[in-house]
Amino acid sequence: MSQATEEPEQLQEIGHDEYNPIGTLALIGLYFVILVLLWLFVYFVEFLGNDPTVIGAVLTMVGLQ
Amino acid sequence: MSNAYIDKFPAEAKVVKAAFYSSFLALALGGVFGVIQTLHRTDIYRFIDSADYYTVLTAHGVFMVITFTIFFLVGVFTWAVTTSLDRGVEDIRFTWSWVGLMTIGTVMAGVAILAGFVDSIDISASVLFTFYAPLQAHPLFYLGLVLFVVGTWVAGADWFRSWWAWKKENPDARIPLPTFMVLTTMIMWYIATMGVATSILVFLLPWSLGWIETVNPLLTRTLFWFFGHPVVYFWLMPAYLLWYTMLPKFAGGKLFSDPLARVGFVLFLLLSTPVGIHHQYLDPGIAEGFKFIAMTNTMFLLLPSFLTAFTVVASIEHGARQRGGTGYFSWLKSLPWRDPVFAGMALAGLLFAAAGFSGMVNAGMNINYLVHNSLWVVGHFHLTVGTAVALTFMAVSYWFIPQVTGKELWNRSVALIQVVLWFIGMTFMTNSMHRAGLIGMPRRTAEPQYTGFEFETAVGSVGELNAQIALGGVLLTLSLVLFFANIIGTAFGSRSDNLPDNGYAEALSGSDDAPRVLDNLKLWTAIAVVLVIIAYSLPLMSIVDRGGLFGPDITAFPANLESVRFLAFAVEHLGTAALESAGTLAWNTLPEVIR
Ligand code: HEM
Ligand SMILES: [Cu+2]
Repeated sequence: MSQATEEPEQLQEIGHDEYNPIGTLALIGLYFVILVLLWLFVYFVEFLGNDPTVIGAVLTMVGLQ
Repeated sequence: MSNAYIDKFPAEAKVVKAAFYSSFLALALGGVFGVIQTLHRTDIYRFIDSADYYTVLTAHGVFMVITFTIFFLVGVFTWAVTTSLDRGVEDIRFTWSWVGLMTIGTVMAGVAILAGFVDSIDISASVLFTFYAPLQAHPLFYLGLVLFVVGTWVAGADWFRSWWAWKKENPDARIPLPTFMVLTTMIMWYIATMGVATSILVFLLPWSLGWIETVNPLLTRTLFWFFGHPVVYFWLMPAYLLWYTMLPKFAGGKLFSDPLARVGFVLFLLLSTPVGIHHQYLDPGIAEGFKFIAMTNTMFLLLPSFLTAFTVVASIEHGARQRGGTGYFSWLKSLPWRDPVFAGMALAGLLFAAAGFSGMVNAGMNINYLVHNSLWVVGHFHLTVGTAVALTFMAVSYWFIPQVTGKELWNRSVALIQVVLWFIGMTFMTNSMHRAGLIGMPRRTAEPQYTGFEFETAVGSVGELNAQIALGGVLLTLSLVLFFANIIGTAFGSRSDNLPDNGYAEALSGSDDAPRVLDNLKLWTAIAVVLVIIAYSLPLMSIVDRGGLFGPDITAFPANLESVRFLAFAVEHLGTAALESAGTLAWNTLPEVIR
C-alpha cells in the first residue's frame, strides 16, 4: 500500500492564459438546466397540482403569500 | 525523512489528531443511532420502545452535527492556519484549553442525552438538536452546549492570535487564503452564536434550573434559527476550504482563482446570518413580510454558491486538462478517480449539487409548504451536511490522518470502496426520503403509519420507499465500519518516511490579483453586523411585543425533575463564578476579534 494520494501524473503545464474552463461552463450549464426543469416540475405538478393548502390557490400563484 | 505536517509541527499535530479522533468517536456513536432509527421508522426492525426514539434521534442529531462536524473542523482550521502562516500556535497550553472546554462540554451534553435511556436516572435531554421549548432538557445539557461553544470561541481567538502575530512580522503581505477562510468563517460564527448564547443563557438554562417560570417559545426558536442557518455554513465553509485549497491539488491542478475564493467567503460571511427566518416559514407569529425579506436574502446566497461551484469545478478541470483531458465532458475521465481522497470529495460535491435542487424548493416561501417538516427535509440535509460535509471530511481524513500521525494509510482500496459505498447509500436513502416527503410522510416520527390512512404514491409504493431508506441506511453503516477499520488500522501502523508533503494548492490567479479591500476584515464584520440588525431587530421586537420576553404561560415537558433542584442549588453557588469568568473571557475576546 502506498501513499494516500500519489502525485497525479501530469502531462503538460497549463498556465493562466492558456486555460479556458469550457468544460466547467458546459457542466454548470447542464446542471442549471436540470435545476430549472426539476423546479418547474415540482412547482407546477407537485405543488399547484395538489389540493390547495391553508393558503389559497390564487395567492400562491402570485408567490407572495 | 518526509515533509509531513507532523514533522514540522509535532505539538500542533497532536492537537489536530485529538480533534479528529474526538470527531470520529462522535461519528461512530451517531452512526449507531442513525441505523437504529432508520430500521425503526421504516418498521423493518424495532427493538427499542417508540418513546425512546426521540432520545435516539437527539443523540444522532447532536453527535453528528454538533460534535462530529465541529470537532473535525477545528482540527482542519488549526492545520490550515499553522500551515498557511507557516508558524506554530502562539501558546500550545492555550490551544489545549479550548480542546478541553469542547470535550467537557460534549461529555456533559452527551451524558444528559444518553441518561434519557436509563429510567432510574431522572436526567434526560430528549429535545432533538433544535431544543425547542416547551421541550425541556436537564440543565446539564444546556451547560454542556455553552461550554462547547465557548470552547470554539476560544479556538477562534487562538487563530486570530496567530494571525495578529504573523501580521506584525509581515505587515504588507496578503492574508494567505486558508487563513483568510478560517478568519471569515470564525467572524461569521461569533455573530451567529450570539443567538444561541442568548437563547440558552438568558432563557432556556434559567428556565430548566427553575429560576424563571416560562419562556417565549417563538423567541427562543427564532434565536435558535438566528444561529441555525449560519451553523450550516459553519459546517460547509470548512468543506469549501478543502474544496478550494486541497481538491485542485488532488486533481492535479491549481486553484482557478484566489480572488474569487475570497469574494465567495466574504459573501458567505455577509449573507449567512440574516436568513435564519427561512426555517420558520410556517411559524405563526412572524409576519409574512419578515419571511419575505428572509427569502430574498436567501436567494442572494445563490451567488456565492454558484461562484463556489464554478471556481471549484474549473480548478478540477484544470487538473484534468494538465493530465491530458480533452473535450466538453470527456476531460472528466482524466481525473484520478482511483484516489479515495479525490473520489470521495468529488462524489460529495456531486451529491451537494443534487441538494441544491431540494434546497431551492425549501427556500421558496410558498413551495416550502409542500415539504415543510416532511421527510424531504431530512433527505435534503443528509445530502448537505450528511454528505457534502461528512463525506468530504471522511475522504480528506485519508490524507490528514497520515499527516498528523506520521503513518501511512492502512488500505487505499478499502478507502475507495468506503467513499463509493457512502455515495450509493446516500443515493438510496435520500432520493426515497425526498419522495416520501412529497407524499407527506413526516420527519421526527417513530411510527409514520396510521390506521385508516394510506399515503398515495404516484410511482412506487410506501413499501418500496421504506425499503430504499433502510437499504441506504445499512449501506451507510457498512461504509462507516470500513472507515473506522481504516482509521484504526492506520493508527496502529508504524511510522513511515514515505508520506506526501504537507501543503495546499497553488492558484492560477493568485492573491496579487485580489483587490486589497477583500482583506479588510473590519469592514466586512461591520457590514455583516448591520445586515443582521436590519434583518432581525424588527422581527425580534414584534415577537417580544406579542408574546412577552418570557412568554405566555407554557408547561415544560417533561415536568421538572428532582435532581434539577439539587443542581440548581449547586449552579447558583458554585457555577455562577465559572459562568461569569467564561462570560468575561468571551467579552474580552470579542472586541479583539472585531478589532
Ligand atoms: C449511518 C448514516 C446515517 C443514517 C442511517 C442516518 C439516518 C437518519 C434518519 C432516518 C433520520 C430521520 C429520523 C426522523 O426524522 O424520524 C436522521 C436524522 C438526522 N440525521 Fe442522519 N443518518 C446518517 C448520517 C448522518 C450524518 C453523517 C449526519 C450529519 C453529519 C446526520 C444528521 C442528521 C440530523 C441533523 C438529523 C435530524 C435530527 C432531528 O430531526 O432532530 N445524519 N438520520
Ligand atoms: Cu437555512
